[in-house]
Amino acid sequence: MSNLPAAIHQPTAAPGLRCFLVEDSPVIRYNLIATLEEMLPMRVVGFAEDAPGAERWMAMSGTDCDLLIIDIFLKAGTGLEVLQQAGRLCPAARRVVLTNYATPDMRQRCLQLGADRVFDKSAELDELLVYCAGLAPTQAS
Amino acid sequence: MASAGPRLPMLTTLARWTTRLGRSALALPLAVLVAGLMIMVSETVFTGADNQLSRLVQRGKVRLQISALLQRITDAESGQRGYLLTGSNDYLTPYRDANLDAQRAIGELQSLYRQLGDNGSQAALAALDQDVQTKLSELREVLALKGDGRNAAAVELMRSGIGRERMDAIRQKATGLFDAESRRVTTGLAEVFNILRLGRVGVALMTALSLLMLLMFLRQGRQLDRHRAWQQAQVLAERDRLEVEVSARTTELTELARHLETTREDERARLARDLHDELGALLTAAKLDVARMRPRLQQDLPELLPRIGHLVETLNSGIALKRRIIEDLRPSSLDNLGLLPALEVLCADFADRLGVPVITRLEPVRLTASADLTVFRLVQESLNNIAKYAQATEVQVSLQDRGEMASVTVRDNGSGFDTELTGLGRHGLIGMRYRVEAEHGKFSLQSAPGQGTALGARLPQRAPAEPGCAKPTGATAATLR
Repeated sequence: MSNLPAAIHQPTAAPGLRCFLVEDSPVIRYNLIATLEEMLPMRVVGFAEDAPGAERWMAMSGTDCDLLIIDIFLKAGTGLEVLQQAGRLCPAARRVVLTNYATPDMRQRCLQLGADRVFDKSAELDELLVYCAGLAPTQAS
Repeated sequence: MASAGPRLPMLTTLARWTTRLGRSALALPLAVLVAGLMIMVSETVFTGADNQLSRLVQRGKVRLQISALLQRITDAESGQRGYLLTGSNDYLTPYRDANLDAQRAIGELQSLYRQLGDNGSQAALAALDQDVQTKLSELREVLALKGDGRNAAAVELMRSGIGRERMDAIRQKATGLFDAESRRVTTGLAEVFNILRLGRVGVALMTALSLLMLLMFLRQGRQLDRHRAWQQAQVLAERDRLEVEVSARTTELTELARHLETTREDERARLARDLHDELGALLTAAKLDVARMRPRLQQDLPELLPRIGHLVETLNSGIALKRRIIEDLRPSSLDNLGLLPALEVLCADFADRLGVPVITRLEPVRLTASADLTVFRLVQESLNNIAKYAQATEVQVSLQDRGEMASVTVRDNGSGFDTELTGLGRHGLIGMRYRVEAEHGKFSLQSAPGQGTALGARLPQRAPAEPGCAKPTGATAATLR
């Protein structure tokens, strides 16, 4: 399953934020993509469920994305590795960590590795949506 | 040389026999029997000798009486002759005395022979008595003739030789009787000697037998001693065997406890992960759904907004509950932050929950991951016990670096308990002990009713140079989960 094609949407010239998702839980992935695309001017241009997959995608089309949403615990590797690589491969993209392990220590570490924000998966979803909305280019939704 | 061959097996047979006898319980009855035999021998010898000697005394008396009889008869005859020659009455007195004495001696002899049961001699004595009576009547006759003045007739009677013949017969018979008694005395004495000799042999034999018994007794005693020593050695060997067994069982139990504890911790970790991943994803998905619904509802059905608010609260409660359960199952703080902050969080939570001040004195220690967990669980379980039973008003938790060992102590000033008693709630303590021992540590427990409880453990520390002491920075999923 981890060898699924990393991209499901071809990047197009359509308006809105281009988002890449690194998340191993299909339930969350499905719901999160639906929510983000429904509520925000955003397209999820691809996803990966492990660190190597994410790195492959970023190496290929890392420049075509405005936002990375990264889970920490993945099927293989961790979101922390993805964060490190993202600084190199997608320098332009905002990097957001969405995790169930949002302890102060973990937040600290993620920020050190170049994350812009860290959100708790169950308690800070609204905040994530507000943050993403703030990133969207000013246009009518 | 020829006799040595057959004697040797005979001796060994004897030795075997005495050994068997010595081992058996027969030795004491045999000793009693030998003692009884010895007394019997000595009694038999005494009675035999005593009997024989008293008969010999009787026979001595017989001989005396025979001699006395002969003497008195001779005295009577010489008295008669003196009277015949002199006519003096002075000679009549000895005659009369002798006459009486002779009669008395015969009576004495008769009774003695009766006592001795000697029938032959009694017959001989009767014959002698007859001769004596005849002689005495002859003397009386002669004296009567002389008293009547018929001297010639008296002398004539004497000359007739009747008196002399009688006298010869008396002498012959008395001598015969005397000699017979003498012979009997000789044989009696020989018998006495025989009896004494027999006694001597018997006593020697019995003494030898008693010596043998004594030897058997000593042998039996020695064997008993040896047997007792053997038994004692057996008991000691059994005790040693049991000690080895107990220590083996203890090791087994410790290993089992460690295995069970590891299994339990693994199971808890798996449960925590499942709860975290699966339930967490579901709750997050539900919250995402709510987030998607909320703007539409706000536009179209604003009256449903309170219900949505309630749904969010319910979901948040579910998330909080999930967190608490996971934290309980597997202290993520321990994995994420390390032992000291995890203990601080634990103590702070406890103090908040029960309103009892917890004084912590925590030093950094170098323990393995599993020992960290053991320390955490020990403190956790102690605090749970305090919450349940102790009714304490102050709790102290300390973790100290003591060189090779790290020492953890949880002390309360609560109600305490009797450590000798077993009962409910003690299995937790036993589990803790095994858990500490499985980490090669030492568990300690001090408590008394009304004196509070101090529970502690000393666990071996890692060498300071060993890497991995510091909190992992390049975190991997394995260390974080």
